[in-house]
Amino acid sequence: MTRQAQGWLLVVLGATLLSVSAFSAMYANYVRPGFRPVLIATGAVLVALGLLAAFRSRPGHAPRVAWLLAAPVFAIVLVAPPALGSYAARRQQAPPPPATAYSGAPAADLTLGEFIGRAQGGSLAGRRVRLTGFVVTTEGGWHLARMRINCCAADALALEVTVHGAPAPPEDSWVRVTGTWMPGKDDPSGAYVPPAISATEVVPVEPPAEPYEEPA
Amino acid sequence: MTTTTNRQAIRPPWAFLVLVALLVAGRFLLAPHLTDPALRTWATVFVAVCVQAIPFLVFGVALSAAITAFVPASFWTRALPRRTYAAVPVAGVAGAVLPGCECASVPVASGLMARGVAAPAALAFLLASPAINPVVLAATAVAFPGEPSMVAARFAASLAVAVLAGWIWARFGRAAWSPAPRRPAAPGQGRWAAFLDAMCHDLLHAGGYLVVGALAAATLNVVIPREWLTALGGVPVVSVLVLALLAVLLSICSEADAFVAASLTAFSPTAKLAFLVVGPIVDLKLIALHTGTFGRAFARRFVPLVLVLAIAVSFLSGWALL
Repeated sequence: MTRQAQGWLLVVLGATLLSVSAFSAMYANYVRPGFRPVLIATGAVLVALGLLAAFRSRPGHAPRVAWLLAAPVFAIVLVAPPALGSYAARRQQAPPPPATAYSGAPAADLTLGEFIGRAQGGSLAGRRVRLTGFVVTTEGGWHLARMRINCCAADALALEVTVHGAPAPPEDSWVRVTGTWMPGKDDPSGAYVPPAISATEVVPVEPPAEPYEEPA
Repeated sequence: MTTTTNRQAIRPPWAFLVLVALLVAGRFLLAPHLTDPALRTWATVFVAVCVQAIPFLVFGVALSAAITAFVPASFWTRALPRRTYAAVPVAGVAGAVLPGCECASVPVASGLMARGVAAPAALAFLLASPAINPVVLAATAVAFPGEPSMVAARFAASLAVAVLAGWIWARFGRAAWSPAPRRPAAPGQGRWAAFLDAMCHDLLHAGGYLVVGALAAATLNVVIPREWLTALGGVPVVSVLVLALLAVLLSICSEADAFVAASLTAFSPTAKLAFLVVGPIVDLKLIALHTGTFGRAFARRFVPLVLVLAIAVSFLSGWALL
């Protein structure tokens, strides 16, 4: 791998990082929103470093494995990996968060994390709430789900709420559910049962710009 | 020298043209067929690991290049105790000042070695830094609310592994296994030129291997059914080994691994501790980075040593502290 090829490889990698962070919101499918400035800076540094390397004369060789730095570029351009959806949600479920008491004015919009925490505390009874997430169909029903990430999509865990009283919308579509919390039954084997909502309205919505929830 | 420059400058940038041509062709010919949910989930996790790790790698590489280009070797001989056995714990504790995850610490340790820091001390720094820096400890405290003993156990166990590994390397390590120190700046080369060369060199060496690790981690992340894990959670000793192995396979950044450990509710605190201690010390991404930065002979000996140490220390401190 010549010095010139090394330089151009870094330029392409840096430009790809810039295109997902500075020129589009794709980065939010992979990392937390707060990471954007870091990605923009890294992309700029890689482009600058690559151009300097491509036009400088010192010979230098890199191992063939360095070509693999193009792999994430190909993954981004060819697959355009979307935010994790129902496929991932079925695989890794988040543990129930600590119970939280419902406080303050009747806030209609809750995140799934807030809803699940408050459902455990039992302080949601009779309150109308609005939840947004994507659809995961199950045998005999469906879940409203959203992934929660702490660092990047590799550590994503699913937050799920069972929806009653409405037919299942298409898998992976984003919806806003309005309804009230339904007290549930514990599983006899002691396994975690997601809290449930009795829906009065289910509206399709656009996927949000920030698809993941962050820990409180 | 000048003629070489001119000849290179007018050569068409083949690498760039071929890459862009492949990308454009793939975008039109292949992209419409790449829509399977499993493949897309895999690609999301793979890209996420890369996008998360590359900035830390660039930061680590820049810091490492700055250490080689701008910090005189005499600084390290003054800052660290002269005797290697005394320098190891000092370097381990010094790991607490590098806020980041493991991708940054590998090139920094290599830069320290190139600047004359004894290999065992640089390795203690490499092992301790991703686990005991304040960012990671704070994340651990958030992930385990009401369990400060987990933070204490993580700190103690990770530092212990780093120092023990450094001492064992000081006693039994051979110079031949360690990397050839990076050549010092060529005479007549400016400091900035040396900085840029070192940065490019490290980035391409470590970067390719980082991608290997990310490919493996994403594949296992999508392939291993979580039910297998839950089923093994109740078995006492096996559960600790299972989570240690999982930490190696998943290669989660040390700033996030505490949240994943906390989510593995079926497992004992000692098993979770093993996950937190092993992950920042050995995982697929790190094995690849070690191979790329320090060479195969080094990785073949260092990785099993620290893996065994990390598991043993986790058992001990889980028993003593949790």
